[in-house]
Amino acid sequence: MSIGYTALTVFLSSCSAGLPVQEESKKTEHVLATKYSIVYVIHGDGDYIFHDTSGNEYNADDEALAGAKRVAQQNPYAEVFIFHQKPRRNFLFFFPLQDGEFYYYRNGQLIANELYWRDQKQSQLDPEVVLYHRFRTENQREMVSIFLYYGHEIPQFGGIGYDASYPDRAFTVHDFTIGLRGFTHHPKRFDLLVLSTCFGGTPYTIDAIGSFTRTIIASPDNLHLSYFDLHLLERLDLSLQDGDVPAFAKRFAHQAFKRLTRNIQTAVSIAVYDADRVKEFLYSVRRVYNYTLTTLKGETQEFLATIEHCDCADLPEYVLPTMNKGVDVFYRPARFGRSKNKQNHSGWECLNVKPQEATFSDH
Amino acid sequence: MQIRIAFGSIIMMFVLALPSNADGKGELQKYFNDTANKVKSTENASEKRKILSESFQSMSKALDKVQNSGLISKVDRIGIDRFKATLQEKRDELAGSNGYERVLDKDLNAFSDYVVQDMEQAAEMITISVVALLLILILVVLIV
Repeated sequence: MSIGYTALTVFLSSCSAGLPVQEESKKTEHVLATKYSIVYVIHGDGDYIFHDTSGNEYNADDEALAGAKRVAQQNPYAEVFIFHQKPRRNFLFFFPLQDGEFYYYRNGQLIANELYWRDQKQSQLDPEVVLYHRFRTENQREMVSIFLYYGHEIPQFGGIGYDASYPDRAFTVHDFTIGLRGFTHHPKRFDLLVLSTCFGGTPYTIDAIGSFTRTIIASPDNLHLSYFDLHLLERLDLSLQDGDVPAFAKRFAHQAFKRLTRNIQTAVSIAVYDADRVKEFLYSVRRVYNYTLTTLKGETQEFLATIEHCDCADLPEYVLPTMNKGVDVFYRPARFGRSKNKQNHSGWECLNVKPQEATFSDH
Repeated sequence: MQIRIAFGSIIMMFVLALPSNADGKGELQKYFNDTANKVKSTENASEKRKILSESFQSMSKALDKVQNSGLISKVDRIGIDRFKATLQEKRDELAGSNGYERVLDKDLNAFSDYVVQDMEQAAEMITISVVALLLILILVVLIV
């Protein structure tokens, strides 16, 4: 009887929000200075299975998490926040388990590891922001700050069903930017934001997140689930010794490109955006791109299922003299398929809404 | 009508009997991964082509059957149309038809990897419900 009571008490306690799994004092004395602040958000609530060329199966989010932990452990001058967003799981079919796990490392040491509840309706990273502010060091404005998001394409509108196990929960680029606002220290922006998702390089997405960061790395086209290679982040005190973040971003993108092209037969595209220099192009195309999005927002699910992406350079209204300004692109076409001879990518991805499709929703 | 109900009931029994973690898309990816493994395990180029061709054919048949079953939604039908179009492109490229250059013998292993990776990426883009995916998988198993 007493064993059963104890087990029940322990189980019920484990269901309460914000229960620390492991936590040390925030006020621990640190010998090493923290010069780098890295925030990872790893989305894992979806179909994230991929296979390598030997046929081995991987979960993309678990692989990304392992990489993030390696970065955290091997950076003696960094504080690293890792948020792993997990699928819904139940204990004994009925009792929901927490769907987020948080890790906080400082100077290579794990300081805290907590389970938490994510936002239940509109996902705007509120619980993640609260945890971030609970643990962050005070000198954020003097640190090099990097934000990384690993997951599926963040929808530009709609966003219902982004979490596979919570069909009512929504997440969009707009929600993402609200979350980003919570992580930044106005007027300071992130020095680098890495968007490791498919179709991250749309004019709307880059425009929206450009207010919160100086440099962006994203994949305009599809991105294989093995994601961007993280090795260059592992010793920032060596790889970012000169403090030149834009140059570091290009090296990071180049390394990720080299690794992806070694194993991937589909198209590989990685672009580095200078958030200030691309503003002129974004301003020029904002109206036409937003018009496309506004039109699509009113369309049926059936119609939206037919929309395809394309290089913005394939659409005349986007081909402007400023298109390449502030964008460095690493691109290799797919080795097979219709686009195998496409030699260049502008770094900007658009939605290809064909005029004849406009009448689709009327039927 | 009774045949349709009976068929639907059998399918639902299969669906309910599947493990709860079978989300459909993962199983679909495994199907193409198994094909790639088989392709790589043989040295003979004709055999490789046959394995790929039969794999595409079985999947196409399953997609047709599910699409014509009347058990799926309009959105699913559109998703399956896109899936079929993607699959047809692979078949055309393998055979060198419809304007595609025929995949060279020496590239067949790489092509099988391309199919796996393209399908993994397509899974994100193509909207097909879990029920429709499970129906496809069941029929693929029955057809093979």
